[in-house]
Amino acid sequence: MKRRSLGFSAIITGLLVWAGPMLAHHSFAAEYDSTKPVKVTGAVTRVDWMNPHAYFYIDVKDTASGRVQNWAFELAAPSVLQRQGWTRSTLKVGDVITVDGTRAKDGGNHGNARTVINAATGKKYGAGSSEGQAPAETTPQ
Amino acid sequence: MQSRWIAACLSVALLCLPAVSMAQARGGRGATPRPPSAPTPRWPDGHPLLSAPPGQIGYWDSGTGSLTGKNGNNLPTNMETSEVPFQPWAKALYEERQRTQSKNDPHARCAAPGGPRQFHTPFGLLIYELPEAKRVLILSGGGVRTWRVVYMDRRTHPQGDALNPGFLGHSVGHWEGDTLVIDTIGFNEKFWFVRAGFPHTEALHLTERISRPDFNTLKYEATVDDPRAYTRSWSGGWLINWHPGEDFEEYFCTDNNRDAEHLVGR
Repeated sequence: MKRRSLGFSAIITGLLVWAGPMLAHHSFAAEYDSTKPVKVTGAVTRVDWMNPHAYFYIDVKDTASGRVQNWAFELAAPSVLQRQGWTRSTLKVGDVITVDGTRAKDGGNHGNARTVINAATGKKYGAGSSEGQAPAETTPQ
Repeated sequence: MQSRWIAACLSVALLCLPAVSMAQARGGRGATPRPPSAPTPRWPDGHPLLSAPPGQIGYWDSGTGSLTGKNGNNLPTNMETSEVPFQPWAKALYEERQRTQSKNDPHARCAAPGGPRQFHTPFGLLIYELPEAKRVLILSGGGVRTWRVVYMDRRTHPQGDALNPGFLGHSVGHWEGDTLVIDTIGFNEKFWFVRAGFPHTEALHLTERISRPDFNTLKYEATVDDPRAYTRSWSGGWLINWHPGEDFEEYFCTDNNRDAEHLVGR
């Protein structure tokens, strides 16, 4: 019974975390560098539950210098996130989270989130990243 | 009264026709096998209904597809991008757009999507025919929530200075059997008419052919005629799946678009 419920939980978690290729209104490759993964932990300072992408901002403390920098992360559109288990109050100001994502090419403290883990609950959310989606007309020939 | 009659006709049609359609429409290489579908819903006079039947909701799951290539839901008859008959300047501009990873795509700055671009703008598409008004409305769930009017009253396009170039152009349509044929001219050059960034000019003349071979499938084809950008006319298209049981939610690209400042390309 316990094994069955664990299996069920794994499936549900997988569904929640699965990002899949989500369509964006812009080219992913023009904005983000797939060779530059970023993983940071910090407290949420702001959430914009808006289109075309939801955004959140977190304060990240550099362990070496002690300096705090504010990072912005792009998510999918709210309607896409809702299908992955999010609501507009999933992230709240003050929540401590760990973000796994891809850094922006312009070098700023800006990225595209792939997964978000809430430190307090341990719950992991897929962020609906459009990474890996090739523009439809440029499929290999 | 009319809607009750339509519902009755649709119910009879659904009962009398086979449970699954034998529609031949299939996507290209690697297309996901399409599940059995109910037959094409129809108006009382027999022509296809391109929206949800009475009592149902849903939308066309736009967002993918292209005029070239045979992958996924693209039509197996599509040409490859290497076969597109570009004028030299248009080929150079297309290649530049590819090289810079579409960083200058006006769609990412929330420009309205004309022609095929509307059919692969994410977040849904609805096509409503209004017989009393003699119009078809094509509504986008994403982008800047574009609504395009197709005049079905046999009017002709404005000529000369009366034609003001725009993002959506001037569209007139008619039915040829089960296919809605839309003829559009009068485009401006402020948008990319397909996601890939194939160039066009104000001379672009589009002929779009839209059909619903079964309940779950919309077949979209466009013929591109723009002698300033292409040496001859060319065509392509793709299939779009029906997304049942949901309406699309509010989405305006202009609400909080932060991307433009970060689009640096290669």
